[in-house]
Amino acid sequence: MIFGPRPYGLRMIALVAVMALSGCSNKQVIVTGNFPTPTMTKVQTTLGVVYSPEFANHEFFDEAKGRNESSWLVQTGTAQVEFWNTFLPGMFERVVVIGSDEDWHTHHESLDAVLIPQVAELQYAIPLHTNVKVYEIWLRYQFRLVTPEAIHAHEAESLMFNPAEDIASFTLTAYGKTPSAFMQSDTDAVNYAAIVALRDAGANFITQFERIPAVATWLLALGEDTPGEAP
Amino acid sequence: MIANPRLPLSLVLVLSLQACVSATVNEMTYNEPEAGIGDAALVILGRRHAPDYDTEFDFIDCVGKVIHSGDPSITVINERQFIDRLYPWFEPRIAPMQPSDIDRLRAQTPIHEQLNRFGIEYMIWIDGTTIETNSTGSMTCGVGPGGAGCFGFGTWGNEANYEATIWNLNEQAEVGKVSAETSGQSYMPAVIVPIPIIAPVQDTACESLGLQLLQYFSSEH
Repeated sequence: MIFGPRPYGLRMIALVAVMALSGCSNKQVIVTGNFPTPTMTKVQTTLGVVYSPEFANHEFFDEAKGRNESSWLVQTGTAQVEFWNTFLPGMFERVVVIGSDEDWHTHHESLDAVLIPQVAELQYAIPLHTNVKVYEIWLRYQFRLVTPEAIHAHEAESLMFNPAEDIASFTLTAYGKTPSAFMQSDTDAVNYAAIVALRDAGANFITQFERIPAVATWLLALGEDTPGEAP
Repeated sequence: MIANPRLPLSLVLVLSLQACVSATVNEMTYNEPEAGIGDAALVILGRRHAPDYDTEFDFIDCVGKVIHSGDPSITVINERQFIDRLYPWFEPRIAPMQPSDIDRLRAQTPIHEQLNRFGIEYMIWIDGTTIETNSTGSMTCGVGPGGAGCFGFGTWGNEANYEATIWNLNEQAEVGKVSAETSGQSYMPAVIVPIPIIAPVQDTACESLGLQLLQYFSSEH
């Protein structure tokens, strides 16, 4: 069989282009990126970290409000786990991910505390919403630092914690933006803004962690110098 | 064999069409390293803490290339590599705003060692962006069984405004500021084929800023 130029080739290209350019589609962003390890003097503690299923599978859905808008699904869960798994070992001397009751039984005696992150809120803005040529992602985290004894297995084998054994509970915000650029798709821009927001979460965590009174007291009790301070 | 000898010539003409750009460069520098910076390196970083713009990564790359191509003995550290190796201390939220902040960072041994590995003596912060100032005109494009084409005219203006602040890390001092402002109007007439006549506003700003910085750092210029 011989393939050659066909008379309707241009029309097919035009049709595909029109379909691709038409709006009102659903947009899905599975946030992906590479994250650096922090460069700093490490906190000399052994920290457990529990990623709840809600956190590890975190996603945000915003339904289109008008005919000219798109529905957005932004899935940050995988990137969240990847980021914090890279970040925390750079900040603390030893980090153990507690994913099951078995993990907890193996490690709980060596742990100084367990950190449980949650994404409490995610907001996004695209130029269509704001008339500013910037894509933005805003995150609000809820962190709980609990004693290792606070963790226990739930019936469904998911890990739970006893709120009465909180060492500290604190919120942190993170913000990422990227200006619109030539030949950059909406989804690429939102993905990049989410990566910037995650990196910003790390920057905020490092500078705020030691300033939380309950954390400072806990570190003092452990005999640990507080981590580095930003300028 | 060239089927149509006029085609390459037309292509070259179209590609070489550029609109005019006006540029203003200001410089105020002190303590110029008269013998150059020797084996030391410099890093160029973009400011990205403003709410409505980021200094473009490709602009920073461009300025670095102008400096390095003008004097290959000057080592310019890649911005992304630098920011990643010193994460999170140069993220927009907590990036140093004055030279003395670098010394506070150096108090942490891992940061001190990383800065020493880079061998950086000068840090240049560039703040600014390129914006579209106006656009007008209209263009219609169509596709039919017989072919495709556009008809119309469009024009838009661009303005670039960048300021570079030079820090000498050994002296913990700001040793100069260089700024470049450029503007230009681009045009796109279309009779079947759109012909872009682009004003290289950002490229001109990059070259202007890069050459001024090169004069400061290089003993050969």
